[in-house]
Amino acid sequence: MRRMRKDVRGQMEVIGLVVIVILIALGMLFMATFALKSEPQKKIFTRKGLAYSTMSAMMKTTISEEAACYSLSQGAPKIGGDIIEDCAKYKDVDISIYQCIGPTSGKTLHSCDFLHEMIAYSLQNTLGSWNKNYEFHSQLITFKGEEAVDIIEPIVSGGCPKWKERDSSGLFPINTEAGLVENSLYLCD
Amino acid sequence: MVKMKNRMTRRMARKGQLQMTETIAILFIFFILLLFGVIFYFRYQKIAFQEKQEELLAARAMESTLKTLFMPELICSRGEAEPEDNCFDVLKLNATKKTMQQHLDEYYFEIFSYATIEVQETYPENKIWLLYDKPKPEFTRKEPTFFVVTLRDELAGINQPKYGFGYVSVTVYS
Repeated sequence: MRRMRKDVRGQMEVIGLVVIVILIALGMLFMATFALKSEPQKKIFTRKGLAYSTMSAMMKTTISEEAACYSLSQGAPKIGGDIIEDCAKYKDVDISIYQCIGPTSGKTLHSCDFLHEMIAYSLQNTLGSWNKNYEFHSQLITFKGEEAVDIIEPIVSGGCPKWKERDSSGLFPINTEAGLVENSLYLCD
Repeated sequence: MVKMKNRMTRRMARKGQLQMTETIAILFIFFILLLFGVIFYFRYQKIAFQEKQEELLAARAMESTLKTLFMPELICSRGEAEPEDNCFDVLKLNATKKTMQQHLDEYYFEIFSYATIEVQETYPENKIWLLYDKPKPEFTRKEPTFFVVTLRDELAGINQPKYGFGYVSVTVYS
């Protein structure tokens, strides 16, 4: 009789343990579902697309007549062509061929200073106004194969370090007489 | 003998009461845990439903943005050549603004549903083209999506077109 009672009690305890294990397992499952939730697709799509479209649009943009760019060539200079090339060629010289009035300072500037001001202005009016963090780099790789050097100071707003969830526009290479200029934009939230 | 029997009966009754209390306590804890589980599950379901709705709205926002970016009515094209990426033609923008407003309900509503599409130039000027404006009456949520575009103006340049800088904003409602 006593043995039977003990057996029944043991079975009850096992059932209790099983119930607790099931409850804990369910809780863990829910927690895992929450933890492993991937980043929303829209966020990734927007960040990637936005980085590329911003870079692509910026490289195509032509300088307005208001900037009164002094140059020997005719027509409006393009950021992703004439201005970057001029800056790469004359970055170590005080005078550049293209000298334009900066959109924020209102002063006539060297092509590198103008490039910096123009890109910072454009990015601030778009990505900056949407509270996005970004980093813009423009680096020259000379034909001698030396290490890449920045032709303008990197434009940083909030910053996008490597450990942060970030997307790049990809490299926008421009072939110039001074070497290859690689432009890239990093975007993060 | 009778006294001994009474004592035994009392002891057994006490033991039974104790076991009953133990069982009730265990059952009470079990039901409390179950209740917590049910509350947690329903909350999770509610949040999951809201997230699903947000996901659907985000998907519609992406779809509408892509449709806008590749709309033949807006994209920079030249004859049979490949159209330019992330570029809107200013001449087309001026014309499409009127066309979209004229045929908003009969044609464009089927494409964009409840949405607002706006193109803003930030350089060299600050111009705005409100192309499509159909917000949902009493909407509960809205999802804006921005894309930077270049604005080609064929009439502004002398020998070559001028390119401005701006963005397109597509807001969808639910």
